[in-house]
Amino acid sequence: MQKESPIREPLILGDKSYHDITVDVAKPVLAKANKMWWIVFGISLVLFVWWILSVGYTIGTGIGVWGLNKTVGWAWDITNFVWWVGIGHAGTLISAVLLLFRQKWRLSINRSAEAMTIFAVVQAGTFPLLHMGRPWLAYWVFPIPNNFGSLWVNFNSPLLWDVFAISTYFSVSFVFWYVGLIPDFAMIRDKVNEKYWPLRKKIYSILSFGWSGRAKDWQRFEEVSLVLAGLATPLVFSVHSIVSFDFATSVIPGWHTTIFPPYFVAGAVFSGFAMVQTLLLVMRKVVGLEAYITIKHVEYMNIVIMLTGNLVGIAYLTELFMAWYSGVEFEQYAFLNRATGPYWWAYWIMMTCNVISPQLMWFKKLRTNIVFTFILALFVNIGMWFERFVIIVTSIHRDYLPSSWTMFSPTFVDIGIFVGSIGFFFVLFLLYSRTFPVIAQAELKTIVKSSSEQYKK
Amino acid sequence: MTKQKKYWKGLSELANDPLVDKLKENEFIEEIPVDDFLGDDKNLSETSTSRRDFLKFLGFSTAAATLAACETPIIKSIPYVVKPEEITPGVANWYASTFYDGNDFANILVKTREGRPIFIKGNDLPSSSPNARVISSVLSLYDSNRLKGAMKNGESVTWSDADTDITTRLSNVEGDVVVLTNTIISPTTQAIIEEFGKKYAVKHVQYDAISVQGMLDANKESFGQRVIPTYHLDKADVIVSFGADFLGSWLSTSLEKQYIANRNPKSGKMSRHFQIETNMSLSGSNADIRIPVKPSEKLNLLENLFDTLNGNSTANDKIKDIVAELTSAKGKSLVICDSNDKAIQIMVNAINDILGNYGKTIDMGQPSLLKAGDDNAVAQLIKDMNDGKVGALIMSGVNPSYTLADAEAFNAGLKKVSLTISTALSMDETSTNVEYVCPDRHYLESWGDAKATPNQVAFIQPTIQPLFDSRQIQESLLVWSGDDTEYYTYLKNYWRSKVSWSSSLHDGIAELSADALSLSSFAANVKSVLSQAQGLELALYQSNSIGDGSQANNPWLQELPDPITRSCWDNYLTISATTARENGLSNWNISDGSLNGDMVRLTVGDVVLENIPVLIQPGQAIGTLGLALGYGRTASGKVGNGVGVNAYPLVLNNSYTSSDVKIEKVEGEHGFASVQLHHTMMGRDLIKETTLNEYLENPKSGNKPLLYDTHLGKLAPDQIDLWQAHDHETGHFWNLGINLTSCTGCNSCVVACHSENNVPVVGKEEVRKSRDMHWLRIDRYYSSDMTKEIAEEEGIGAVSKFKAMEIPSENPDVAFQPVMCQHCNHAPCETVCPVAATTHSAEGLNHMTYNRCVGTRYCANNCPYKVRRFNWFNYAENDAFDYNMNDDLGKMVLNPDVTVRARGVMEKCSMCIQMIQKTKLDAKRDGRNIVDNEAQTACSSACPTGAITFGDANNQSHSVTQMVEDDRSYQLLDHLNTKNSVFYQTKIRNRKS
Repeated sequence: MQKESPIREPLILGDKSYHDITVDVAKPVLAKANKMWWIVFGISLVLFVWWILSVGYTIGTGIGVWGLNKTVGWAWDITNFVWWVGIGHAGTLISAVLLLFRQKWRLSINRSAEAMTIFAVVQAGTFPLLHMGRPWLAYWVFPIPNNFGSLWVNFNSPLLWDVFAISTYFSVSFVFWYVGLIPDFAMIRDKVNEKYWPLRKKIYSILSFGWSGRAKDWQRFEEVSLVLAGLATPLVFSVHSIVSFDFATSVIPGWHTTIFPPYFVAGAVFSGFAMVQTLLLVMRKVVGLEAYITIKHVEYMNIVIMLTGNLVGIAYLTELFMAWYSGVEFEQYAFLNRATGPYWWAYWIMMTCNVISPQLMWFKKLRTNIVFTFILALFVNIGMWFERFVIIVTSIHRDYLPSSWTMFSPTFVDIGIFVGSIGFFFVLFLLYSRTFPVIAQAELKTIVKSSSEQYKK
Repeated sequence: MTKQKKYWKGLSELANDPLVDKLKENEFIEEIPVDDFLGDDKNLSETSTSRRDFLKFLGFSTAAATLAACETPIIKSIPYVVKPEEITPGVANWYASTFYDGNDFANILVKTREGRPIFIKGNDLPSSSPNARVISSVLSLYDSNRLKGAMKNGESVTWSDADTDITTRLSNVEGDVVVLTNTIISPTTQAIIEEFGKKYAVKHVQYDAISVQGMLDANKESFGQRVIPTYHLDKADVIVSFGADFLGSWLSTSLEKQYIANRNPKSGKMSRHFQIETNMSLSGSNADIRIPVKPSEKLNLLENLFDTLNGNSTANDKIKDIVAELTSAKGKSLVICDSNDKAIQIMVNAINDILGNYGKTIDMGQPSLLKAGDDNAVAQLIKDMNDGKVGALIMSGVNPSYTLADAEAFNAGLKKVSLTISTALSMDETSTNVEYVCPDRHYLESWGDAKATPNQVAFIQPTIQPLFDSRQIQESLLVWSGDDTEYYTYLKNYWRSKVSWSSSLHDGIAELSADALSLSSFAANVKSVLSQAQGLELALYQSNSIGDGSQANNPWLQELPDPITRSCWDNYLTISATTARENGLSNWNISDGSLNGDMVRLTVGDVVLENIPVLIQPGQAIGTLGLALGYGRTASGKVGNGVGVNAYPLVLNNSYTSSDVKIEKVEGEHGFASVQLHHTMMGRDLIKETTLNEYLENPKSGNKPLLYDTHLGKLAPDQIDLWQAHDHETGHFWNLGINLTSCTGCNSCVVACHSENNVPVVGKEEVRKSRDMHWLRIDRYYSSDMTKEIAEEEGIGAVSKFKAMEIPSENPDVAFQPVMCQHCNHAPCETVCPVAATTHSAEGLNHMTYNRCVGTRYCANNCPYKVRRFNWFNYAENDAFDYNMNDDLGKMVLNPDVTVRARGVMEKCSMCIQMIQKTKLDAKRDGRNIVDNEAQTACSSACPTGAITFGDANNQSHSVTQMVEDDRSYQLLDHLNTKNSVFYQTKIRNRKS
């Protein structure tokens, strides 16, 4: 009797050879940009200019140009911050955690997911800066020796923890990303014709750190990657836990919640994967990477979205349960007010987008449908933005003393900074997609021949 | 070759002076010893200036020269050449003075710093206490809209030219010379007017913008004296007010002090206060029992009361209790009424006479002289003016073109008067219509006297050099009567024989021996006052901040929220929810929370006012409307112009109420600037209250201590602490107690805080965005028909319960709660600031370091009391906020001890740390302990009823220490265990149930 194991479904379609991969990955970098790229880049640039103007106006005139007031001291600023930090979670999770778990499917998507992480964290980082009344004094939040007497930062403050958490996360993610890029930069360096592109050659030579492709290089590369993955993994969990402390350590009902750290991490992975979906579904089409980013990848990510979406849903219900179970009238009112108060629509947008819609992913037909996935990913992005808005604004707009209750309404500057930050993000991402190898081709090549069938060729 | 031109360098060269040649040869007349210096190597090597030093000097000089070239703003501070004996820079001087503007009266102390008045507080006398308008008047001194000198037809004129012209024309005048003033309570001014009258045959007419003619005439008829009585609320056990807002603006007197004196639950006895009124007034909100009625029904109830007391009728159900209480408290009760109708006031007099209140709670023998206006005389004057009988009109302290109901008739008459003179401080509505404006001085620049009652005189003394080329009205009249005495000399000579001048000036007041007025016993024909009014009824009132509108250009007052509606920068028609619904009117909150409302066309008799916003007011009697006077100024200055609508044209026949009023909804909506958008406590235990009877049974009633269930049994929050306590045993431990029973919500503390702490004014649009900057606010809560108990009984679900709780009752109980930084000893704000800009002091205070703040606003978010205020913009020197901090004159009111905050930083109540510091330094200098009541905050010193007590809780002799331990004391949101240094005492109402 002969038993034959089923052949694993290939992760790369189209019978690609090593050379095909090289050509496919190098193509967007070496060829001219198409019309589509210029249109999207143009729109992003316009939004980015709006961002610059809004930021300039804010710094020049004062935070009063936003819609904040004496009761609601944070609204879109911190909502955007947490949203972007959350999005910045997927990249490192995909490359670090999935690397440790030896999930090979990550290889087609990890480069872009990490790039997205870096750019998202850049966006996130602008908000704590901009939301300050006196951003030119932002360096005061660093514990640097100073001549202001014996002034020191307040190590009790979660905002200070944020400073450390975000900067650590950014630097480790950046280094991790960069290390992965080195062999691919070397590939591009080797493909650039010095005669026509001397500057490019030079730049990619510098960027690739003199990578020679020796076995020793590869061995060191593997080791560093593993070490950095080990370092980055706890950071994936720590950074959003610490962001959640901004709220969890406060005394405001709706903020002061002990389940925030895991709840925020789950939400961050949820929103991060949704953003990766959004970007990659477009990119595979525009840059022609359908063979590498396959339905399989989409489905895997959809499963992660469904899982984390359900975790987030459980967190929402736990909050409601705890409010009721605690017997604290302020806590109970805070959650009743979320669901039925003046911001009920925000709460139900959040619930619909984050809890109800991911349930559709139980159907294999839907989770392997590209269009459906794209729409759902947008839903999740919107839902997660509203989650942060709901947590921040609906908790403080009606807190302890009804005499101070009020509402928040954004100004065009608030909108400009938010929409502009999306423009800023896309400017960075689009530039990246034209200058960086968008797939970790060196690593990807290791899975080209994962089945013996392929060796027969 | 043409001859070369030659230019001489001077005449000497032309004259071939040999010196010129010599100078040509040697550039330097004397030889410079360069060789001696540089040639001598030995000397050079021995010099202490090395090459490196030389380069340092060079570098420094270059840098210094470059820096000096940069432009820095030069602010000149000019020191005293000879230091005035009484002024020490940094140390305040206090002067006793008096405020009287015809509408408010107060004995005050003026704080001056380096010659500038910056703060006003009450001169601690039982008779008076400054209200918000009096405290704010210091800012009106620095009003940039004030006239800088005399004006003729809108052009500048010198005083001497004006005087010559005026004197000549007065001597040749055809027709009467009339002096139109507010009520004059200054004996010297009266004497001067008399003297002036002797020269020119003058008629003196006194005119009160807010008339009390009815009461004056009633007393004339009842007792033979045209005066208003002095009341003794502290002796009244039952107070029945028919619409008189005696805690607000009624009669210019401040009665809250004596009102509260008889409402101390500790003494086991409180007066019972019934208020029968139309609008929700400050008095009504403090009343134990408030009965909302239409103005017409109020009269019917009054007559019913009169008839019942006479035994001619049975009591109406609404006033059954009142009749019973009044009859059992004869001689210890008081009935008052706000009506400006003589017949009604006579009936009130009759009721008080039946109750035997004269001589006990009402003193006619030593009456109040604050109101003496005669509306008939004013009406006659206007008629005479229009008939061309008046040749000259001199006006002082009045603004008839604005405050008269029929200002058009007055303005028309003004045109027929050949010489018109106003002494207004600025170009107000009247001054713009007159020939001469001879600006009077602000009272803080003036000398003066004021006799509020026959047995007491108060003095006004200048606290600053006159800012502008102005002259006191008294001096002007003296000059025009040909008397060259200075008014100061006149004043001094007048009083020197009667009182001890120096000590009276120092004290601010002097007692006079004055016999009680001779009164005839009550005799009057009491006529029926029954009303048959139809339709909607309107009741006009004075708002707590703006009053009669004379200080409408004062931004502090404009931004001071009304204690009841909590709206500022506006007047509006108050309307009950039912009436609003019947007329299809509503209020709603827009997306940023701010309040918007419908607008109506208001028709009262022949007068039509367009586009008046309506504000739904709980407690407003159904079928009635309220509207505040004092708004709608057109010539008050940059702040007050165009704020609200002018309601004076609605004062028909000298009556402040009208019936058969029509309202018609018009297109458009109006935005209100409300600082409080939610009006009920939502079933929360924020203001703890109980009734007197329950309190007497159990002093802890209504103040059940909160206990948490722990594994160690039931424990109070402060016994299950995560945090290490601060050491509050050593040194001072500043605590502030607020007695909610004594707080009437009068707003004095709010404006005092504004003044002391340089709190910026932000304007209507910013207030609408919920960005008011008040460090101290008075929360006002209404009761709701829905309570937790009712919801439980009727099985109402949480969602509908809370929805219903948001809606105040139609006639709610009202409670006030002043809230400032609670100075938590476990402060949520302190732990979250990343840069440690807000920290805890060893004395129980929560500090805010402005220059360390980077403005994350985390502290404000985490503050359970929401008392922190953020500088969203630069509020000083910013044209977008064109209030007092944007002009050099207005900035003179700033307290030099308190920083003006820059944009981007957080600010909040500091418990007047600068005042505490001063107190500590004084005690230290004298080598003694701080005594009780020595340490004060601006709010505690401004509180007329003593509801705010400040002191060192570590000192057993301080009254705040006993207050902390009182059974009524509690901390706001005590379950949070923030361990506040501010605490409250339960509110006690004197009710049966």
